[in-house]
Amino acid sequence: MSAETLLRRTSAGRGRTDRIVFALCLIAGAIALVPLAAVLYYLLAEGLKAWSPSFLISKPGGITTKGGGIVNAIIGTLEMTGLGLVIAVPFGVAVALYVVEYRAGRMAIIVRTAVDLVAGIPSIVIGLFVYSLVVLTMGHFSGLAGAIALSLVMLPIIARTSEEMFKIIPRRLREGTMALGMPRWRALFAIYLPTVAAGIMTGIVLAVSRAVGETAPLLFTALGSNFVVTDITQPMSALPLYMFQNAQNIGFPAARERAWAAGLTLVAIVLIFNVLGRWLASRTQIRLLQR
Amino acid sequence: MTAQPGTIGVRIQAPATEIAVQREVATTIEQSSAAIEVHELSAYYGAKLAVREVTFNARQRAVTAIIGPSGSGKSTVLRALNRMLEVIPGARISGSVRFHGIDLYGAEIDPAAVRRTIGMVFQQPNPFPTMSIYDNVAAAARFNGVIKGRQAADDLVEACLVRAALWDEVKDNLGKSGASLSGGQQQRLCIARALAVNPEVILMDEPCSALDPIATLQIEQLARELAEQYSIVIVTHNMQQAARVSDETIFMSVDEARAGYVVETGSTAEIFTNPKNTITEDYITGRFG
Repeated sequence: MSAETLLRRTSAGRGRTDRIVFALCLIAGAIALVPLAAVLYYLLAEGLKAWSPSFLISKPGGITTKGGGIVNAIIGTLEMTGLGLVIAVPFGVAVALYVVEYRAGRMAIIVRTAVDLVAGIPSIVIGLFVYSLVVLTMGHFSGLAGAIALSLVMLPIIARTSEEMFKIIPRRLREGTMALGMPRWRALFAIYLPTVAAGIMTGIVLAVSRAVGETAPLLFTALGSNFVVTDITQPMSALPLYMFQNAQNIGFPAARERAWAAGLTLVAIVLIFNVLGRWLASRTQIRLLQR
Repeated sequence: MTAQPGTIGVRIQAPATEIAVQREVATTIEQSSAAIEVHELSAYYGAKLAVREVTFNARQRAVTAIIGPSGSGKSTVLRALNRMLEVIPGARISGSVRFHGIDLYGAEIDPAAVRRTIGMVFQQPNPFPTMSIYDNVAAAARFNGVIKGRQAADDLVEACLVRAALWDEVKDNLGKSGASLSGGQQQRLCIARALAVNPEVILMDEPCSALDPIATLQIEQLARELAEQYSIVIVTHNMQQAARVSDETIFMSVDEARAGYVVETGSTAEIFTNPKNTITEDYITGRFG
């Protein structure tokens, strides 16, 4: 075969097929964007009707009447997510450390699988579990029960992200600590944890962005409340619960608008956390690559 | 900072034995000029024999170079000297490694204590990335209880950085990240860090292979200077480097079964000018390797 035949375009058909496949992929991509665009459009169009800065800091009014805000839901979300983190972060990081650093063969595999299974449990089941464990024991619904349910949602996310982080600690860094005769636990806290701190933060941020949107685990735990509650032992509201309660009153336009406005607030919070998480993740990668 | 006979950091768990061993150390140091004696050391990765029955001594306050082609087990042998080999999954040894007469693989020996006494510098500089230059040097010493208090830490950091020939370059920037230094500076920082836990022997695993020629010369010069107070074992595949820095040379090669073995040991001058073995001669004259 001469060089000329080798280099010449084989057939016009090939180029045409390629263009068709490219067009099909483009269309599929565009279709995938439609639901996202639609949701965002409705969120903004409907949500902005009742949304204003004062909406964020006002107490709720009556369900059927116009006006009122979501300060109770924001306080509840902050308090329950915060307490959930206090529970989930130490446990999640400790589980990751156990699985990666102290992998004792079979036990580590069992722990790891267990974490994966918890991640796969539908969140309403977690809600029911905490209901039986905490709500029935205490005799009433509470923010504490909600926080525990949220911590169970966040724990596997934090554990898995932290695990991945501990895994990518370079071997030469591990050997550096070992060659100095450092006790392992010292190396863990003084060297490994600070090295991957940003990565663990990423996991925490992703877990938070998931937890703030969870409704099911809160339904039979925190229950919801129309009052501003800070006492963690009492039933309290949260943004998704607030949405749920207002959206139920489908006949009252004021309630529906408030549900959209709360939804808009929630999505904004989740978006902020997601962007923050991605930014932190990119920073960790840069740092680890530099080494 | 220099190693004192009797205060060698091989910490044995039972206090009574510790005293006994230290006494033994004190006497053996006077008797023997070898810091490390390796006797019929074989190393395995899983079932594979990687190094076959290696025997040699590393002299006190001298530089011993281990040279040889790739795959001859130089790094494996080096790692066996401070029990860093066993951190590689599946790696194990037979034979003995003695440090001033003490069997480093004895049942009552703490591997962490061995590594403090016999420090190590790696191929790739590995300063702790989240720590400042100061903390890189001070941290391990602090964790191991070598120093207590701010003043002691300041003194130690300065002394180690001076000894690692890095002080003049970093003394005004001790708070800067260790990772911000150049490769050669990072490697000297790692040497300073190793010195901070008060070792007696320093193992260097191809410490210049990631460095440029100027940084390489600095490290080589440093190795010579350190040999006045420390015993140094350096692995290199650069023969000129071995010729420049070492007093003794161990030449390793690899057999048909791909296991490393020692071909010849002797003073560096002798090995490079008058090798006894033809394999050594071929390697040194560049005919293979």
